[in-house]
Formats: sequence, C-alpha cells, structure tokens
Amino acid sequence: MRFSDFIDGGRIAAGGLQDFATGLFHPTLRLGVTGLSRSGKTVFITALVHALLKGARMPMFEAHAKGRITRCYLEPQPNDDLPRFAYEEHLAALTGENRHWPEGTKRISQLRLTFEYEPQGFLARRFHSGKLHVDIVDYPGEWLLDLPLMTQSYQQWSSATIAMAKKPPRLTHAAPWLELLKNIKSNDPQNEMKALEIATGFTAYLARCRESDVSLSTLPPGRFLMPGDLAGSPLLSFAPLDLSDGEILAPNSLAAIMARRYDSYVLKVVKPFFHSHFSRLDRQIVMVDVLSSLNAGAAAVADLQQALNEVLSCFRIGENSLLSELFGRRVERLLFAATKADQLHHTDHDQLENILRTLIETTTHSAEASGARHDVAALASIRSTREAKVTQKGQEIPCIVGTPMAGEQIGKTVFDGEKEAAVFPGDLPKQASAALDGQAEGKLHFVRFRPPANIGESFPHIRLDRAIEFLLGDRFA
Amino acid sequence: MSKDYREPQAFVLDEAMPGKTRLATRSKARGPALEFEIEPALPELLPPLAMAAAAPRQRFRWLAVLVSAAFGLIVMGATLSIIQLVESFFVRSPYLGWLTLSLAGLLAIAALAMIVREVAGLLRLNKIEALQEKSSRAINLDEGQSADSALAELESLYANRPDMNWHLGQFKSHRDDILDPRDRMRLAERHLMEPLDVMAHKIIARRARRVTLLTTVTPAAALDILFVATQNFGMLREIAALYGGKPSTLATFKLARMVVAHLAIAGGLSLSDSFIQHFIGKGLLGKLSARFGEGAVNGILTARIGLATSALCRPIPRQTATRETLTSLLREVFNFGSDASKPKDISKMNPEPQD
Repeated sequence: MRFSDFIDGGRIAAGGLQDFATGLFHPTLRLGVTGLSRSGKTVFITALVHALLKGARMPMFEAHAKGRITRCYLEPQPNDDLPRFAYEEHLAALTGENRHWPEGTKRISQLRLTFEYEPQGFLARRFHSGKLHVDIVDYPGEWLLDLPLMTQSYQQWSSATIAMAKKPPRLTHAAPWLELLKNIKSNDPQNEMKALEIATGFTAYLARCRESDVSLSTLPPGRFLMPGDLAGSPLLSFAPLDLSDGEILAPNSLAAIMARRYDSYVLKVVKPFFHSHFSRLDRQIVMVDVLSSLNAGAAAVADLQQALNEVLSCFRIGENSLLSELFGRRVERLLFAATKADQLHHTDHDQLENILRTLIETTTHSAEASGARHDVAALASIRSTREAKVTQKGQEIPCIVGTPMAGEQIGKTVFDGEKEAAVFPGDLPKQASAALDGQAEGKLHFVRFRPPANIGESFPHIRLDRAIEFLLGDRFA
Repeated sequence: MSKDYREPQAFVLDEAMPGKTRLATRSKARGPALEFEIEPALPELLPPLAMAAAAPRQRFRWLAVLVSAAFGLIVMGATLSIIQLVESFFVRSPYLGWLTLSLAGLLAIAALAMIVREVAGLLRLNKIEALQEKSSRAINLDEGQSADSALAELESLYANRPDMNWHLGQFKSHRDDILDPRDRMRLAERHLMEPLDVMAHKIIARRARRVTLLTTVTPAAALDILFVATQNFGMLREIAALYGGKPSTLATFKLARMVVAHLAIAGGLSLSDSFIQHFIGKGLLGKLSARFGEGAVNGILTARIGLATSALCRPIPRQTATRETLTSLLREVFNFGSDASKPKDISKMNPEPQD
C-alpha cells in the first residue's frame, strides 16, 4: 500500500463524514448517471426529471403510482462550484420546432430534485420530514475511463496504449501518429514544441477512433476528447511514448517530462473528480448503448466490454453499513441499462438484456459478492417509436415505426428525416455470446430515430419507471 | 448458413400500408428454431404453494364404496317411495296427483341445481389453484406466456364484479405498455389484489374480534366451540367469495381441509406467533381473566386461519406486499380504535393519480 492510498482513503472518509452530517438533517441521495459518450445520459436525465415533474405515467414506480409522492420539484443548485444540468435547454431541444436529440454531456453537472412524500412506517410518519433530495450527477463517460489511470504508472499506461493502437481495428486510425512516434526516442532531450506535436497527434488519433464507424469505446485519457474547462492546459499536453513497463526514465528527457505531466494529470484531474463526485454516489445507473456497438460489429462489442469492465472496476460497490455511512459511502444499487431499446421490437428486449448481462458478467459477480443489488434493464428513456407488424410473403415481421433521422440508411432505403417508416432491424441472436464472436455481424442494422413528434403531457418511455423504482424506490418506504 | 436469418429491412409507410394485409394462417418460414435459449438467473423464488404436496398412492377405498353404495340405495329407496306416493295420489284424484308430481319435479330440479352449484364451486376453487400456479410461474420465471394467460383469467374472473370495475379499468389502461411479465403481474397485484387484501384484512379482523368477544361472554364451553366453528366457516366463505372463489358447501369443506394443511405446513414458520399465543393465553391476559385469555387465543387462531385462507384464495401469490403477519393483524383486532391500521388504509385507498 502506497502512501497516496492512505491519503486517498482519508479524503474519501472526509467526504463521507461531510455527507453523513448533512444527510442527518436533509436526507440526500446521490444518483450517478454514467455511460460512455452517446449512450443516452443526457436524454435519460431530461426524461427522468420531466416524468417526475409532470407526474407522467409510471406504473412500476410504486410510490408514485400509489400517490404517496405529493410533490416533486427542482431545487436551486446546492453546490455553488458545480454547473447545473441544463434541463430546460435539453427539453427545448427535444420538444422544440426542429426536434432533435440534445447535445451530449461535455462537463460535469448536477441537478437537485426534491420529493415530498408520505412516509409509510409508524415512526417515519411522526419523525421524518417526508422530504428527500435526489442529486443527479451527470458527467461525460470519457472521464470514467481515466479512473483506471489512478493505479497505473506512466510506463505501464504507455506500453498498454501503444500495444492497443497496433491492433487491427485501431491500426488504420493510429498509423499517422505511430509514424510520428518512430522519430522519437524516450531519452530525447525535453522540447516543448515536440511534446505538443506528439500530444496533438495523439489527440487526433483518439478523435479519429471515436468518429469512425467502428465505434471504439476505450479511449483514455478522457479529457483529451472532452477537455471540459481544461482545453489548452499543459495538463493535456502529454502522450504515450514507446516505453517498456518499468523502464527508468533519464532526467530532463522528453519521456520524463511526459511522465511528470501524466502524474499531475492523474493528481489534479482524475483524483479530484474521483473524490469529490465519484466516490460519493449512493446509486448508480450505467447506460450502455449495446445496439450501436452491435451495428459496428463484433470488434466494437468486444471493445465495449473491455471499456465497461475497466470503468466498473472503479466503482465502490457494496452494502452500506453504519461505518461506511461515516467513512465513504458505497454504491448499493447498480442498474445496467441497455439504452435505446425503442430501436427494436419488445420481443427482443430479453435478448438485449442477456447480451448486456454477458458483457458485464465479471462485474456483476463482484457486485453480488459485495452485497450490492444490481439489475439489468432494456430501457428507452424517451420512446421514439411505436410497434407494428408487417406481413410480407405470408410472414409476420415485428417492426418498429418512427421517423428515422435524416441520412440513416437501411438496405437501399435512405431516410430524409421527415417520413415515417416501419423498420425491421433484424433478430437479435438467441445466444448472447453470438454478439461477441461475430456470428451476428451483418445480420443486424439499427436505425436511429428522431424524438417523437406529438408527446402530449409527457414523453412515452420503456421501463423508465422500473429503472426509477429500482434506483430510488426503497427510499420512499 | 445461408439466409437462415431475417434480413434487416425497412418499409416506408406510404408504400407498405396499402399492402398490409394480415394473413390468418401463418406459414412457418423461419425454419426449425433449434436454438438454446439462455435462461436468466432466477432471483428469489416464491415459496412453493403449500398444497402442491403430492398425495401418496392410495389403496382401494372400500369405505368410499360402502358409503356410495349405501347412499345410492337410499336415493333409490327415496325415489321409489316418491313414485309410489305420486301414483297413490293419482289414484285418489288426478289434481292431487299432478300437484304431487310437480312437487316431485321441483325437488328434482332443486337437487340438480344444488349438485351443479357444488360442482361449479369445486371447479372455481380448482381454477383459482391453477391460476395461482400460473401466476407464480410467471413471477418466478418471468415467463410471458403464463403471465398473459394468468392475466386473461384474472380479468374474466373479476369482469362481472361491480366493486372491481374501477380497479380493473385502471389495470387495463396499462395493457399496451411494454412491461416485463413479472412487472405485469406486479401491476395486476397492485391494482386487483391489494384492494381485495384490504377487504380481506377487515373481514379477518372483524371475525377474530367477534370470536374473542363470543368466547369471553359465552357461559358454556361447548357453546363456544360451536361459535368458533360457525364464525370460522363464515369467514372462510367470505374470503373465498371476496377473491372470486364463491365456494359452495363442499368447496368450503375442501377449502377448510386445505387451510388445515396449510396451517400444518406453515406451522413451523409461525413459531414466534405461537409464542405470543402462549404468552397471551396463559400469561398476562390469562391472569387478568381466564375467559378473556381463552377468547384471545381463539381470536388469534381465527386470525391465523383467516390469513391462511387468504393465502390460499388469492389468485396471485404474495410477493412484494409485505407478508401480513399475525402481529399486524392482531394490532387491529385488539386495538378497537384502529389507529395503527390507518397509514396502511390511506395508502391503499388513494386512487392512482390520473395522467
């Protein structure tokens, strides 16, 4: 155990004590919403808040369905140093004239929802205020990928990153950067311009990976793609060099300065995020966009699996005891949501859940062992399609009907973003492992749809209520 | 592996709609689906139904033959004497003859109706048992098919009940939502079972209270056995009727037998309850008044029988709704002000907010 581990432990405990003290008077629940980019976090939070504020149809959210929640409203921002989640803006994007999905998460933000409810127990009715604050914390999924860096040295990280870049799906994107690296030796004298050049090349490689159709998920360090307010800072001007694990770096060499920046990146960017936000969550929902990975093929699915398992290994999972209430809370409920479930017919939802279950198998085992509860759900925070059956040559095909986004394509049909269409995206493999070994490749094509047009009072959804019930339901007992 | 899967495709609606005809016969063009489906891990299973115990192989029952034969003889004898009676009346006067004949016909019709009713009652009881099994299957295995058929049966069971009309409407409004089978069952439980549970709770509390009072007040010990028995049978019928069982006499007896079996099996679980019973009967209350102590014991017994009955008659086995323990009921039985039951009732009575 290193000295810094003690310090980290102390920080977690300090945060925990603070939360415990405030929690005594104002019961608060911190709900973390996480997922890699484009997995639907922003839409989830917007839909969740909208549904709760409007009192939407949520039959499976018991406290709400039974009418025990008397009021639900947005509270002014509790932490002055955290930006507020731009709920109104995102809602306007979804419902406005040219309805579209809101911009993705660029930096950390928070929103406080307050519930007033009727407690059920005899004692609770007399002594409990019947108020619960729920802090919803949103942060870019890329930042999560940084968490494993806390346990890696610069040398380890370098060799791992370069090894990954040399493997097929990434090689094409990495080629220019690897070319650049060839001219650099680790013991070159330090040179600011050179360092910047490599860092820019590295960032460009990461960006190419993300833009590509091969949706690659594991791309640390996350701030390179999502700098937030760090854009242009020297903290971000480092890159992996061709080093072997455990290599001793010459002082004042290019490698040494890179290593120094890497260390301060971990110290000044990753750790504060971990301590002030990540390690204080009570409940966590992990959004996973399985469908777009399936679209991209088996390599992308395997990549997703790796990214998920890396991210999930950073969670502090487990049941909370009095001691952990005091010295650092644990995530006691963990929901894995396979998002955008409205892109396929509900008969395939079980298969979708099975695929996700397979992807996160290792994590769920450890979650079970630690006593935390976890669940997997096929979810659509906003349901943009309806279901239909099309009969073709005597065969009934389960389809979904919606307005595909402009430019989406299936077979020879290209959509213009205006016309409605019935889409059959293919059958999900009956065996979840088929998604990983490439058997399903080419047999599936999921189309992205525009947000629903006439929503009425509240957005239609799939299993959003079940997700809320799982994440928050027990606190309304 | 050429084309054993269905290709992704799109139908732009304006083109697809006119030709969208549903064929009545579906051809199975998908080929043999011999694929292995992975079943998800089973979360906490509900305890198996108590009455599902297999009966041991029975020996030929001579006693049954004896009784049936004797009963047959008696019926035949009675029929013969009725025929003779009718004939002798015809000899006296045709008017009297017709009158007797029609009375005899009435007797036959009444007997037939009673038999039909008994059989129907037994069938209803069986149906609820089957429904219970189907629902627990749907809940435990998250199985769509059994959930669908269980819910359809539930709906038909309560379709003609004016008191369930509103609840049924509420439940049906969620029919088109995409829900997992297990959640669907949960929804049915909340909308259809929980209002009935509240009623059952009241019935049990009322009967238990009455038994307690009657036992305390009746002077003779033999009399209170009679009282307790009638009250309990009444309660059995009331609860069964509440959940849609509407038992006849024979069905009531069958139900009583099932309740006894259920109590015997569940007996181990309610050890703590019998401790309470012991304490109340022989201890504190017994010291205050021997009769009242006995009354309390009888009341608790009645409450327990009531709980067992409602567990047997409820078409959806209990899952999330907290198992009604004896203690929660006893609070209501002995707390005549019924303050403790208030929170629960309020939450149950509140209608679901409209969208």
